[in-house]
Amino acid sequence: MATTTAPTGSARVFLSVGALRRRHAVDLVARAVVAGGGLAVIGSILAILVFLVVEVWPLLDSARVRVESSVPAPAPGTRALLVDARHTHAALLGPDGVVRVVRLSDGAPVLERPLLAEGAPEPLDVSSSLSGQPSFAAATRDGRVALVPVEFAESFAQNAPVVTPRVGDAVVLELDPEHRPLSAFSARLAEGGAAAAAQLANGKVVLVREVETTNFLTGEKTRTAERAALAPAPGPVTHLLLDRRAQSLYGALATGELVRWDLTRDLGAPPQVAGPAGAPVTALELLIGDLALVVGRAGGEVEVWFPVPPSGGAEREGVLERVHTFPPLPAAVVLLSPSGRNRSFFAQDAKGNLGLYYSTSERVLWTGASLAPDASALAFAPKGDAVAGAGPGRLVLAAVHNPHPEASLRALFGKVHYEGAPAPAFVWQSSSGSDDFEPKLSLTPLLAGTLKGTFYSLILAIPLGVLGAMYTSQFMHPRLQRVVKPTVELMASLPSVVLGFLAGLWLAPLIESKLAALLLYLVGLPILSLLAGALWFLLPRSVRGRIPAGGEVLLFMAVLAAGAVLCWPLGTALDRAVFGGSLPNWLYGATGLRYDQRNAVVVGIAMGFAVVPIIFAISEDAISNVPSNLRAGSLALGANLWQTVVRVVLPTASPGIFSAVMVGLGRAVGETMIVLMATGNTPILGWSPFNGFRTLSANIAVEVPEAPAGSTLFRTLFLAALLLFALTFALNTVAELVRQRLRQRYARL
Amino acid sequence: MSRATRHRRSELVAHLMTWLCAGTLALNLLLITGLLALLASEGLSYFWQKPLWLLELADGKRALGELYETENMPDPRVGEAPGMRVRVKVGNRDVSGSDFRWIDEAQITARSRPKDAVVLERLEWGNFYGFLRELRANGQPLAQGEDAVWSRLGSLLREKARERRALEAVEKGELGRINYALERLRLERRKLALESLPAAERTLREQELSREEAKQQAAYAGVAARIEEKRAAFVAETLVVETADGAKRELPVGYVMRAIRPNALGIAGVAKLYLSRIGEFIGGDPRESNTEGGIFPAIFGTVMMVFLMSIFVAPFGVIAAVYLREYAKGGVLVRLVRIAVNNLAGVPSIVFGVFGLGFFVYLVGGTIDRLFYPEALPTPTFGTGGILWASLTLALLTVPVVIVATEEGLAAVPQIAREGSLALGATQFETLWRVVLPAAAPGILTGMILALARAAGEVAPLMIVGMVKLAPALPIDGNFPYVHLERKFMHLGFHIYDVGFQSPNVEAAKPLVFATALLLIAVVLASNLVAILVRNHLREKYATRSI
Repeated sequence: MATTTAPTGSARVFLSVGALRRRHAVDLVARAVVAGGGLAVIGSILAILVFLVVEVWPLLDSARVRVESSVPAPAPGTRALLVDARHTHAALLGPDGVVRVVRLSDGAPVLERPLLAEGAPEPLDVSSSLSGQPSFAAATRDGRVALVPVEFAESFAQNAPVVTPRVGDAVVLELDPEHRPLSAFSARLAEGGAAAAAQLANGKVVLVREVETTNFLTGEKTRTAERAALAPAPGPVTHLLLDRRAQSLYGALATGELVRWDLTRDLGAPPQVAGPAGAPVTALELLIGDLALVVGRAGGEVEVWFPVPPSGGAEREGVLERVHTFPPLPAAVVLLSPSGRNRSFFAQDAKGNLGLYYSTSERVLWTGASLAPDASALAFAPKGDAVAGAGPGRLVLAAVHNPHPEASLRALFGKVHYEGAPAPAFVWQSSSGSDDFEPKLSLTPLLAGTLKGTFYSLILAIPLGVLGAMYTSQFMHPRLQRVVKPTVELMASLPSVVLGFLAGLWLAPLIESKLAALLLYLVGLPILSLLAGALWFLLPRSVRGRIPAGGEVLLFMAVLAAGAVLCWPLGTALDRAVFGGSLPNWLYGATGLRYDQRNAVVVGIAMGFAVVPIIFAISEDAISNVPSNLRAGSLALGANLWQTVVRVVLPTASPGIFSAVMVGLGRAVGETMIVLMATGNTPILGWSPFNGFRTLSANIAVEVPEAPAGSTLFRTLFLAALLLFALTFALNTVAELVRQRLRQRYARL
Repeated sequence: MSRATRHRRSELVAHLMTWLCAGTLALNLLLITGLLALLASEGLSYFWQKPLWLLELADGKRALGELYETENMPDPRVGEAPGMRVRVKVGNRDVSGSDFRWIDEAQITARSRPKDAVVLERLEWGNFYGFLRELRANGQPLAQGEDAVWSRLGSLLREKARERRALEAVEKGELGRINYALERLRLERRKLALESLPAAERTLREQELSREEAKQQAAYAGVAARIEEKRAAFVAETLVVETADGAKRELPVGYVMRAIRPNALGIAGVAKLYLSRIGEFIGGDPRESNTEGGIFPAIFGTVMMVFLMSIFVAPFGVIAAVYLREYAKGGVLVRLVRIAVNNLAGVPSIVFGVFGLGFFVYLVGGTIDRLFYPEALPTPTFGTGGILWASLTLALLTVPVVIVATEEGLAAVPQIAREGSLALGATQFETLWRVVLPAAAPGILTGMILALARAAGEVAPLMIVGMVKLAPALPIDGNFPYVHLERKFMHLGFHIYDVGFQSPNVEAAKPLVFATALLLIAVVLASNLVAILVRNHLREKYATRSI
């Protein structure tokens, strides 16, 4: 059956069964498309949050250590160990003083060479060093120290890297001319030559440095060893440690105290002794940068010490202090191995517990069992991405995945004591020229900057927005309202880059030269307003009556503008009479306040300007939507308009005004361009209105283009974005909920 | 206290407080008008040719330039009346090093406006202020003396402008095409190396590439020779000019864009010059690292980015709004989603920028590069900021605006209209398509305009995902595939930031930034105004209908 009545042509098509089916199908498809598309759009918007979290998450991940290869150790009792950057070979130094290089893929020996001359007796003690030139050192029984460079030369054959290990010729330094065994030693190979320090059998500490001299006739360079006796330590030292450039010598006393000789000055000066005394030191290493000392003790304590300069006096030498302490290991710390890339290090105790630590953030990144059973040597790979351990039976290499050791909640938000700083502080400094620079990623100064900018802009924006909205909605003729409201609201769409440009290039220099005039104007504003009001009152009633309510604002504008013009010369005169010509200079002289040209006042004005329309629009809405019967009732009871507004309208609308302020706050918190252009972007803490600052948002804009994807800095900036997201989202949600409740209340009234 | 006194007192307080409120509103309006007036006056005066003043100084030297502003001498000695100083744009950056100069008014002994002083707008080194002395062709004098040179200069400049355009056309057109083809061939070769092919075919293809390459190289050599020839002709004529101080300069006539005798121009001449400069500003390419010339690439980049963005944002925003308002079952979840969407409009734009960088550029773009452009790696193709990612990021940023406005438009369509349509037998989709959406169209339009205005003025997220200070090529050109969505682009807002804060000569560039800011603000405010008008119209229409 097709149709019942006699339809017109189009309706027949419309109602045929096939057409009905087709229409139904179209409807179903449309429903699916709309629902799918709509949900997808909403989902993808919300996915922003998820994506930010996913990017930030790895920051707080701990490290992973995964065994990559395990080969038989070439000889038992390895005392020192080095690995190449590609983890293909390991060099081991046995107690017999023989260097053995093995391939890590199959354990095949590649090279074997005695460190000392053939036939020499076993060395007394050995050490290895990764910093400077990778090298092995051994102290002989006759008071000498031998150093050999271990090199892993890389070459490319058919696009594949080939590593060729090489063990260089020994440099032998004579530390004890009387050829007695040394009781503690430390040696380094560096560009300028080798250096070694040792404690002789008689307890004296000596230093031998190779000095390079150039023969100015032949240009030939010769190295001669210089020997110097250092001032004695208060007691016998158990460990000695020389830094890479041989500028400091550290030692540990049997009492657990640390001593430090400054080798750049008078060598005879007594060493600095740093306490407190404690358990005997069992292991001692320097972190990258040669400033911080990792100390392991007999009780399993793991500590980081470095010289802390006294605050203020930069020329005075710092005092070695224990700055970071870590959760102790169960037994005496016997092995320490610092990374050559950052401030992380491995520590192993006598019972075979291994831990990976990061000095600055005080994070324990990983703990586990020692790599090889009874490992007697431990080595971080040069790039910090692997670690090797050698026991009597096995040589084990493990990959270290440790991407963000420097990040921790404390490092990101708390005070951190950075190396060389006099005290813990909040610092943001993400990059620098030098290699051993450590990134300082405290978000606190940026949060403080954000709050500061927001605070100064809201000081301006709240009164201007709320009072202006109150006046517009309550005292103005609707015809004028229709002009004023959109004018102010239109300003909300003003591109912030224009405001920032004006603030930075026009307003900032102007304020710097006319600060007195600005202050004068701020103080004078209420007086000027009252003056304008009085002027208005003096106008004859017939004139006033013809102007719609609120029209007097034009008069006010004229008076305020005239006041601004008047403040100009007045301010200059005031400047000259009281402040000696320049208020900023006077401020600095009188109070020590530094005046930056681009400062919080400039930002406050520019950002206030951006926030006013928002606060104005929302509070105007809230105030004008107060049910008119409330107003009428109050007026009918004899209250005047002002009393009605203050006692009836404002209290009713106050949640709306609150929500307006919240939304304004959200805008100010996230504003980027104005802050970027109108402040100096210096990440400093401080509330002075005449200083610059750096906000979270501007920081992102400044640093993200330079941050390598996936780096700690990159993820930290994502964290900043996440914070901004959460902050504004929370503020706006609170505002929205308040507004909705208010709407319901109005509906009931 | 009597009742009357109390009443009078409260009346007085009421008046005083009301006046204070009126004062704040007045300050608001004053700030707004002041800002617009400042931008308009500074931005528009940039194009206005001021007279040239010749200042005789006490030390016997002379200065020629446009007077900009007068202010008190800084740091006067105590007890002395402060003198005044005047800022003069003296130009001649190649001679004196900077465009502006402060001159102590006390030093000026005489001032005049010589009729024959000229301004030469040059391709390089900014304006020249001085006097014409001689015109030469290949070193031989053509004309000597002010007026003789001036009378021949006009036609010569027009001729040179033609030559310059022809040169540019060859350089950008033919040479650009050949360079583009060569770059493609290089990538083809790398792609071939990455592919696994039988040896015979590989050599065949390699030979083909080499042949093509040789062809292009030959073409390149031919075009380069032609350019060389044209260039020689272009710089054949030179102009000898003299500064106010008597220093002589010789510069090719071709490097002079425009020669003006400001003091001899009538008001009509100045007005004509004004309009022609505005035209050059809007339609021209930037010069001297953006501090001079026009802003056409920035306008083009902004427009194209906004256009791309609206292609993404319009369908998705409307679909999401329609889903929320017409299809979704009401309830707590929908309310929450609505609040969330509302709030997203308030999330800082830089957050969207960071998301765009991490998601679009590194994740999506990086994946595209690995899959489709392995031959170009490690140089990223889509794995770096570009106009596509910028417009997608902005689409995400503005989609809440469109959703909210569209929802408002849908809500304003009376329920009766829907019910009538459904009662007549239309399906839900037909009701939506034929009844609801047409009625809500003004709302959707409002949302789109608001989104466009927001996008045009937004800078912070774009700094991260694809804007550059100087893009070598527009995202659309004559080389296949004509539209290059991976290219970086210029943007009006970023232009303001970059020229105002990162250019080497901020002081000289400031007027240009003012003009750019004025243009940007005019575009943004105008589109907002249109949106507001449409919205008001819509509200009134439905307000009357529902009664």
